[in-house]
Amino acid sequence: MPPILTSALARWRIASFVCASQRHASTPPPPLRKQLKDEAKRKRATPAQTANPHRIKPGWELTVGIEIHAELNTARKLFSTASAEPAAEPNTNVALFDLAYPGTQPHFQPATLVPAIRAALALGCQIQRKSGFDRKHYFYQDQPNGYQITQYYEPFAKDGSLTLYDYDGIAPEDGQAITIGIKQVQMEQDTAKTLQQGSTFLLDFNRVSHPLVEIITLPHIHHPATAAACVRKIQAILKSVNAVTAGMELGGLRADVNVSVRRTDTTGSDTHSYHGVTGLGQRTEIKNLSSFKAVEDAIVAERDRQIAVLEKGGVVEGETRGWTLGNSETRKLRGKEGEVDYRYMPDPDLPPVIIGDELVARLRETLPALPDELSDELTTKFGLTIKDAKTLLSLDDGDRLDYYFDVVDQLGGHADSGRVAGNWVLHELGGLFSKAEATWDSIRVPSATLARIVSGVLSSTLTGASGKKLLSLIFSGDARSVDTIIKEEGMAVQPIDDAVYTAAVERVLATNPDVVEAVVRRGQTGKVMWFVGQALRALAAGGVAHARPERVKEVVLQALDASRKE
Amino acid sequence: MPPPHRIPLPRIHRRHHSTNPYNAFISSTPSAAYTPPATPIPPPNTPLTHRPIAIKDNISTTTHPTTCASALLPSYTPPFDATCVSHLRRAGAVITGKTNMDEFGMGSDSLYSAFGPVSNPASPLLSAGGSSGGSAAAVASGAAWAALGTDTGGSVRLPAAYTGLVGFKPSYGVVSRWGVVAYANSLDTVGVLGSRVRDVRAVFDAISAHDPLDPTSLSPATRARLADLLAARAGGRFPRAPLRIGVPAEYNVAELTPGTRTAWRNTLQALHQRGHTFVPVSLPSTRAALAAYYVLAPAEASSNLAKYDGVRYGFRASPSKGSSKGEGSSEKEATEEDTLYAPIRAHFGPEVARRILLGTFSLSAGARENYFVQAQRVRRVVVREMDGVFRLPRVLVEGAAGADEGVDVLLTPTAPGPPPKRDEVPRGVGAYVRDVFTVPASLAGVPAGSVPVKVGEEGGIGLQVIGQFGDDGLVLDVAGYLEEEGLLARMGAA
Repeated sequence: MPPILTSALARWRIASFVCASQRHASTPPPPLRKQLKDEAKRKRATPAQTANPHRIKPGWELTVGIEIHAELNTARKLFSTASAEPAAEPNTNVALFDLAYPGTQPHFQPATLVPAIRAALALGCQIQRKSGFDRKHYFYQDQPNGYQITQYYEPFAKDGSLTLYDYDGIAPEDGQAITIGIKQVQMEQDTAKTLQQGSTFLLDFNRVSHPLVEIITLPHIHHPATAAACVRKIQAILKSVNAVTAGMELGGLRADVNVSVRRTDTTGSDTHSYHGVTGLGQRTEIKNLSSFKAVEDAIVAERDRQIAVLEKGGVVEGETRGWTLGNSETRKLRGKEGEVDYRYMPDPDLPPVIIGDELVARLRETLPALPDELSDELTTKFGLTIKDAKTLLSLDDGDRLDYYFDVVDQLGGHADSGRVAGNWVLHELGGLFSKAEATWDSIRVPSATLARIVSGVLSSTLTGASGKKLLSLIFSGDARSVDTIIKEEGMAVQPIDDAVYTAAVERVLATNPDVVEAVVRRGQTGKVMWFVGQALRALAAGGVAHARPERVKEVVLQALDASRKE
Repeated sequence: MPPPHRIPLPRIHRRHHSTNPYNAFISSTPSAAYTPPATPIPPPNTPLTHRPIAIKDNISTTTHPTTCASALLPSYTPPFDATCVSHLRRAGAVITGKTNMDEFGMGSDSLYSAFGPVSNPASPLLSAGGSSGGSAAAVASGAAWAALGTDTGGSVRLPAAYTGLVGFKPSYGVVSRWGVVAYANSLDTVGVLGSRVRDVRAVFDAISAHDPLDPTSLSPATRARLADLLAARAGGRFPRAPLRIGVPAEYNVAELTPGTRTAWRNTLQALHQRGHTFVPVSLPSTRAALAAYYVLAPAEASSNLAKYDGVRYGFRASPSKGSSKGEGSSEKEATEEDTLYAPIRAHFGPEVARRILLGTFSLSAGARENYFVQAQRVRRVVVREMDGVFRLPRVLVEGAAGADEGVDVLLTPTAPGPPPKRDEVPRGVGAYVRDVFTVPASLAGVPAGSVPVKVGEEGGIGLQVIGQFGDDGLVLDVAGYLEEEGLLARMGAA
């Protein structure tokens, strides 16, 4: 079917109205950058809070389950051949079905399963041989059919898990590691974008029916920091297996959290349950959180609100709430009586999805390394610290890690190449980028260039200082080759005969007998380095560049030793 | 809120009463378009060449608005042709116009139309049947040679019976639904109405093909398997071999009018005299099937009709007062009247509104298990019972075997009686009982055709031939046999 790009669909001007039902993404959140700025401003205005806001009131336990929606990295939409590329021009990537034209039917695009299955495998899920699509009904102008096609009764993946470690940023109370169950992963359609201009709503249907995965965790989380770490880690995993296009910072990922509290001393009195976990307090759902910080802060605020309500003898209502970054309280979006009954119904137009074992096996074989596997490798095989490994993994969407591997590959088999290359990639080159306030790119200093510099340092044909200077020159746009610069700037370390050092040192000692006296007779060993400095200066004055201070020191110590014996 | 249907109707080409006496058409083609366009490609020479064919107004056409007889789509012209319309155009047929109907296909008498009711050419005070009543009236009045309708629970067969025509509902998935506006997707089929079986067959042959655009279209592989199955059919090909004709006991209901019962009995006797066997069979779920249908179809309808929100196409109400004029405070609290959807969706007709409400209820969290899920179970039982009476196995079930002592077709009345007078048509649920004989074939997805027994002042009576899934050819063969042998005409006179 040809994607229909009728000009009549160009832009929809919708007269001022208020929607019949509220929904996540109903009002687009302000851009993240602005949110962060506002947040910083507010922080400055209200200095240090007295209590650690993350600590729960004694006698209470928090329970959290998370639902994460992520845009899949696919070429086509979920049910049409329209492109899933983000298009500059609104309403250009739309097929008839995407706009719910009467008489059109969905055409499931099997290729969209590939990134979805990768995501589910990376989360340790069981891929279901048979799954199906259901309609979830609600009215909203960004939902052309009046329902979202999702997988409610039969999701394509179930029963996974995710282990979070201390270095992932979990709460200290969770110790070194905690495993969170993944209930299911399902595929579903994204909605259109609503842009508000005054009282006019403009709709861009390019995003409508973009394939999403929804990942539902079990309520296994008991600390706000762990919840944020969980979302962060899921994002990293999805990126590492190339399942998604963008992270939270670009709106490619959204989270809803289910929050409940219970008293720790009255086990058995809480009767609520969900996803098979029992004995919980009444939960509320906070929708549409678009940053890790929002996840953590919203949970803290909602936890404290629920505890306050219960301590006053009140009752927590099962309701949907919202959160704006920087606020100290969640706000009610709709209560139970206003709760939408989604009237889930299997979509009669969509036959069951059958996923063959062969496809799953092939995707499992070709699954890229997961972050945990990579960080293991970086620390054990490459000698990086866990901190540097995590940094390397988290930077620049994996570009920095690729660059690092390129540098190490070109260094050959030097024993210390992994650790040293890590320093240069992260700290030396990374430092230059941050000092210049430039965003990372792997072309500015090509990996071969950095490898040449590091190799010089490793083989002592280049001093560390020269190497840094060399890197800085190239970073600033020096177009000469590394070897040309070394030659033209006289950076090569010349082998220096020991006799040259000995002569210089003896000259310095001879002209400073009182200092020799101070070291040898009165034990003022601190003066040793003074001699080294003097000797180096004398060497430099005599035209010897790149003298090695460590060798000069050895010669000074030998000479002083000799004077002591005299 | 304005009462439904009090909105200005579209400025489309509507036939004047003198040229549209039965209100059969909602829009029609100006006579100039009847002359085939001069093209370098010679017009194909098919049985449909230059044949005027009318199209029900819920089937998409780029040349005519497609209103579904609804105030919500008063002037919507689709940007694409339905696949079945493309097939007809390619075969050289002329699309004469778009026919009136019950709004979105919901009704049995073609009275629930935003464009006014259809009347029966046999006698204008009578119901033309529904929901494809406009298609039936167009053919019965001679304005079209044949017509496409849609049949979800009997919407082609009932009007065919009431107006004295042949009406055929193919197996589900045989004719593409791409471009056919959904009422209940799992039941919707495109059907054909014509004066003679051979005309209906010619149209059916032209539109029966696999279509990748319809995800429920029968695949080429299944069609091939079906062809093998039919070729290997035991007992040879009808009409050389005698038929085994099933007569379901449950169709002999108290509501049958004496005339209908007589026509049915006499036809069976005439068939018997010609060497065919009739076999009493039992389809115990026939009554339950009607109830299941009126749960499932509205449930799907409530979902399918959610798209009519006025945002992208169709009718949109002007913004209500509350939000357009900010009296004092512009940040007024939202109220029901301020919503975008309620004022628009209030323009659904009463029967559509009733079925959306029914469907919304039966899918709701508290009722789903007892209504929707239960009705799905009944549907599976109906399928099983049907499979249990036919000699031919269901091609969709891998390795299925037909019933040993099975029948070739079922023969039943199409409706319990002749058409009611238009002003005596029962409203609401009372009207649904007339679908009791047509709904089981819809739930089972099997082919069914209605052939006219007689037409007179009191309207038409039809008999229904039902076959196994995929046995569309045999249903048409048997219908043609009844017609050609003159059995029907003679029985009708009895």
